Amino acid sequence: MNRLIQIAAVLMVATVPSAWAQEASKGDAANGKKVYLADGCYQCHGRVGQGGLMTGAAPILAQTKMPFAAFHRQLRSPVNDMPPYPEKLLSEKEVADIYAFLQALPGRRPVKDIPLLNNY
Amino acid sequence: MKKQQIGRRGFLKGAGAVGAALGTSPGASTPAAAQQTASSSTAPLPNMASETLPPAPDTQQQTSSGGDFMVDVLKQLGIEYVTQTPANTFRGLHEAIINHGGNKSPEMLSCTHEEIAVAMAHGYVKIEGKPLAVLVQSTVGLQHAAMALYNAYCDQAPIYMLLGNSVDASKRLFSFEWSHAAIDPSVIVRDYIKWDDQPGSLQHFAESAIRAYRIAMTPPMGPVVLSLDSEMQENPIPDRAALSVPPLTRVAAPQGDSGAVAETANLLVKAENPVIIADRLARSQMGMDRLVELAEALQCPVIDSGGRGNFPNRHSLCHSGRGGAVLAQADVILGLEVGDFFGTTHVLSDRIERRSRSIIKPGVKTINISSSDLTPKGNNQAFQRFQAVDLTIAADAEQTLPALIEAVKRGTDASRRTAFEARGKRLEATHHAMMEQWKSDCTLGWDASPVSLGRLCAELYEQIKNDDWSMVGNGIRVTWPRRMWNFDKNYRWIGSSGGAGVGYNAPASLGAALANRKYGRLSVTIQGDGDLMFAPGTLWTAAHHRIPILYVMHNNRAWHQELMYVQAMCNRHGRGVENAHIGTTIDDPNIDFAMMAKSMGVYAEGPIVNAKDVGPALKRALAVVRKGEPALVDVVTDPR
Repeated sequence: MNRLIQIAAVLMVATVPSAWAQEASKGDAANGKKVYLADGCYQCHGRVGQGGLMTGAAPILAQTKMPFAAFHRQLRSPVNDMPPYPEKLLSEKEVADIYAFLQALPGRRPVKDIPLLNNY
Repeated sequence: MKKQQIGRRGFLKGAGAVGAALGTSPGASTPAAAQQTASSSTAPLPNMASETLPPAPDTQQQTSSGGDFMVDVLKQLGIEYVTQTPANTFRGLHEAIINHGGNKSPEMLSCTHEEIAVAMAHGYVKIEGKPLAVLVQSTVGLQHAAMALYNAYCDQAPIYMLLGNSVDASKRLFSFEWSHAAIDPSVIVRDYIKWDDQPGSLQHFAESAIRAYRIAMTPPMGPVVLSLDSEMQENPIPDRAALSVPPLTRVAAPQGDSGAVAETANLLVKAENPVIIADRLARSQMGMDRLVELAEALQCPVIDSGGRGNFPNRHSLCHSGRGGAVLAQADVILGLEVGDFFGTTHVLSDRIERRSRSIIKPGVKTINISSSDLTPKGNNQAFQRFQAVDLTIAADAEQTLPALIEAVKRGTDASRRTAFEARGKRLEATHHAMMEQWKSDCTLGWDASPVSLGRLCAELYEQIKNDDWSMVGNGIRVTWPRRMWNFDKNYRWIGSSGGAGVGYNAPASLGAALANRKYGRLSVTIQGDGDLMFAPGTLWTAAHHRIPILYVMHNNRAWHQELMYVQAMCNRHGRGVENAHIGTTIDDPNIDFAMMAKSMGVYAEGPIVNAKDVGPALKRALAVVRKGEPALVDVVTDPR
């Protein structure tokens, strides 16, 4: 099963248009943060990508493991209840910038470093 | 033109003559005076008759009242509190409660809005297991109360409402007495109450009071309304000894058909992956204990939909957090008072075509034990989308569980028991991994400002975990408590509004806290800003009656669910979200909830924006609550 997933992941990356790959690598995290806040992504996913709730769960986005291609597709033609972000609302560069911002977020900390969470 | 001169003697003579001709008493000389004035072109003269003649005989004192008798009935019912906003149509009963009844069992509680009075009753009954009474003014008061009644109806909560009404038109004096009267006052809420009556006599009242209580408390529970004539409340009783109060006898809730129960047990025992979904199931600890016993007998996962405190969230068989995953594997699904079977077993897509997709496998056997079908109403649509459940057992699930547990145990042989144990071990490992994942997720945004909800809930639990706490409200479906806290008792959680009518959380939490007070429990609620602004006067009631409760504001400065909806609409049109805040945010100016609470006598802190300040503020506020007073901590949070 793991092998199948790996193959699928490779195929997914392989099908990413080269322009997208370039955008993903060149993303401006600082601008991505501005766009993330201005375009209301944080309303469901939280200001630091910690996830939230709309009609259903809004996934955690901080340091998302989602490949850029899948991320791009989810913005343009989202599944579930996420609103669509067509290019006239969010340029290709801005998509890459948001992705870079999400990758730059601090993400999870070790639970052991937070005493409050060790008392459960 | 010569003016007509009328002397005092002549005026009195004339007035007396007209009065006699009209057959009125000397004291009722208004028509004569009016006629006299109308025939004169001079300025109106004083009504000399009313000033000089003795008044007509009119009884001014009484030693008994219908209201006194009504209080006797309420005492027999064991009603401990009455919530109300004072009003003229129940002044007779009001006076009887505070004097004849000594303002004790029932004790009168003052509310600044009828919606608060009903919502308090809603929260109270979910902790106490029996209703308090709500006194409401006919027409104007009932219309204020209507929204909260609707929530209670949807939530199957028994509300015991007494409505003041002026039935006899010939006895209504002032204009407002007419606008506060109706020939059928309950009609405006009849779509979402179980039963109502307008007794024609005190004996009728006594019988209807007992009947109403019994109907309200029989599953599916729901609101009842008794319209009480104001004259009946106020006037003396000719013969108190002739009135009797029927005893309140026990009611056995409807139990599932024995054949259907046996069939259900057989399906569950034979299933490889049975799943239990519980919604408005557990009315008490007994309900939770029974569900635990059933789940452990089968070693099957339970999805607690949260309509009540149904199942301990730290139990290894609690898989509420991965409901989709366990349902996808299920071959038998047992629903227990599940209000939305369709929504639980489908993914719903809030798009233009509003599609849905089943997440359960074809051929899965589905059963729902529910009392909901026993008292259907046609107008409101709270029954949710139709789901073709294979077997519906029209009965009270909590009452049916003992028979089902017995049948499951009887049908489980050694080989099945071995299979169950193996299943239980797998589920335990998955449950543990889920809990560890949630802890890790909670670290995200730990130091963020505005404060993350994970941090807020962790800080709150740290302060209350060694108390006998009860989470009496969670206005905006914050998921962290049910992931991280230890909900090991039924009273740790009371469920939500039922009808999703905003304005429930603040007063219902207070009602539940009122019930918790005598058990010494620590009541906490996570309070949305939009919800509190529907009923801010709740805070005054909390302070006035010294009801200990901690309100922790989840202040995202918006009606945020609606903001997300509007944002989705904006994106659907490709118009951008920059205008989505219009009509959906609660800022400019920001509301200072701490100042608001303080103005009503409630200890308060905030607004708090830094995560490190949350814990110390909660600690100080809880010190106040533990002394028996309410407190509020306003935390400016991330939206979700």
